Amino acid sequence: MIKALKYAIPLILTVLIVFAGWLLYRKIQKPEEIEIFQSRPGDVMEMARLCSMELYNEVSILDTVNSKVMFAVQKQAGSISFDMEHLQIDDTGDTIRIILPPEIVEVHEASEKNAWQVIDTKAIGPMAILRSNKFTISEENRVKSKIKTNAIKRLYANGTVRQARKDAVKNLSLMMEGIYRRPVIVTDPTPEGSQK
Amino acid sequence: MKNILKFLFIIPLILSCTRKDVPDHTGLYEEIRHVNKMEFASMAVTKTVKTERSDWYKVGKRIAVYSFDTYLNAYIDMYEFDIEDMEFDENNKTVKVTLPPVRIEIAGRDMEMKKEYENVGLFRTEIDSKERAKMKEKASSDLMKELEGDPEYKQRLDETARRKARSYFESLFKNAGYTAFIRFSDESPDKGDFRTPTQLEPI
Repeated sequence: MIKALKYAIPLILTVLIVFAGWLLYRKIQKPEEIEIFQSRPGDVMEMARLCSMELYNEVSILDTVNSKVMFAVQKQAGSISFDMEHLQIDDTGDTIRIILPPEIVEVHEASEKNAWQVIDTKAIGPMAILRSNKFTISEENRVKSKIKTNAIKRLYANGTVRQARKDAVKNLSLMMEGIYRRPVIVTDPTPEGSQK
Repeated sequence: MKNILKFLFIIPLILSCTRKDVPDHTGLYEEIRHVNKMEFASMAVTKTVKTERSDWYKVGKRIAVYSFDTYLNAYIDMYEFDIEDMEFDENNKTVKVTLPPVRIEIAGRDMEMKKEYENVGLFRTEIDSKERAKMKEKASSDLMKELEGDPEYKQRLDETARRKARSYFESLFKNAGYTAFIRFSDESPDKGDFRTPTQLEPI
């Protein structure tokens, strides 16, 4: 029996070492898990927009969806602009009168490094320990949709939109005075923002 | 009985103290830039990314494919545009306009990722938010490399923006009673002559 063990142990050890080596080889040879496809460009959209303000924010997000909590940090890039193609211009008198159009508020995720960092997710509520703490793609998108809505709301609440409209009135007046070579009055019907 | 009543009274109090479904989005850093840009063209570029983890000893597949758009804008900076860049000829009612160069910028990317495909077997772990964030990060940095190496996107945007800027300013000056001859300050001498709309290339 002892004699049999004397041969069996080195044999088992050798088999284990070979097996571990094979696993390691497979791991090294394993193809990349993440595959990125060639980008697809969409159509080029023509526009004429006056952008009077650009924004860059970093926000921390603590949100709950379906009894799951997510804490994340996001970098945002945004702009406030105005459609110049459908300007209401009254050039019948000596003074040119223009009405400032509604603002277009856009907030995106910044395209720089680590613009979306998920710090932690957890399940809460009764039996939380037995439930998954992982967000599905649709749950995650619900969080992100709220982030966007809140970011836009904040721009109205903290007066950024008001300031952007004020800047646009000034910039537009200067540009149009240069073109028309006549006094220009730009009127802002909604100084606090057209969406407020 | 008294203890049971106490207990029944305490339960709603405890429940009312639990966390509500209210999102908390706190600003860590905010920067506002006053700009004066005229945007004339925009393009969305779609990036698709796949994750697939398969090992012979694991039961079931684990594949997910997501996509998102990144937005590119072409604009001219009107802070670089001066009154001296317009030469009016009152006799002929014409104006020569030199516009600042068209610049391309990345405006940002979609917050949400679109699910193109998902197949995660019963015995496999679900794809979590951190993994998706990593996928997006990789795809985004790959796109940046593509944009640096391939000038085609920029060229398409640049051409469209120049065409649109020309037609926009020509029409504005026409309303003001002038025929505009427009060029861009960065155009080479052979292309840089003041051109009328009839000389523009067809779309």
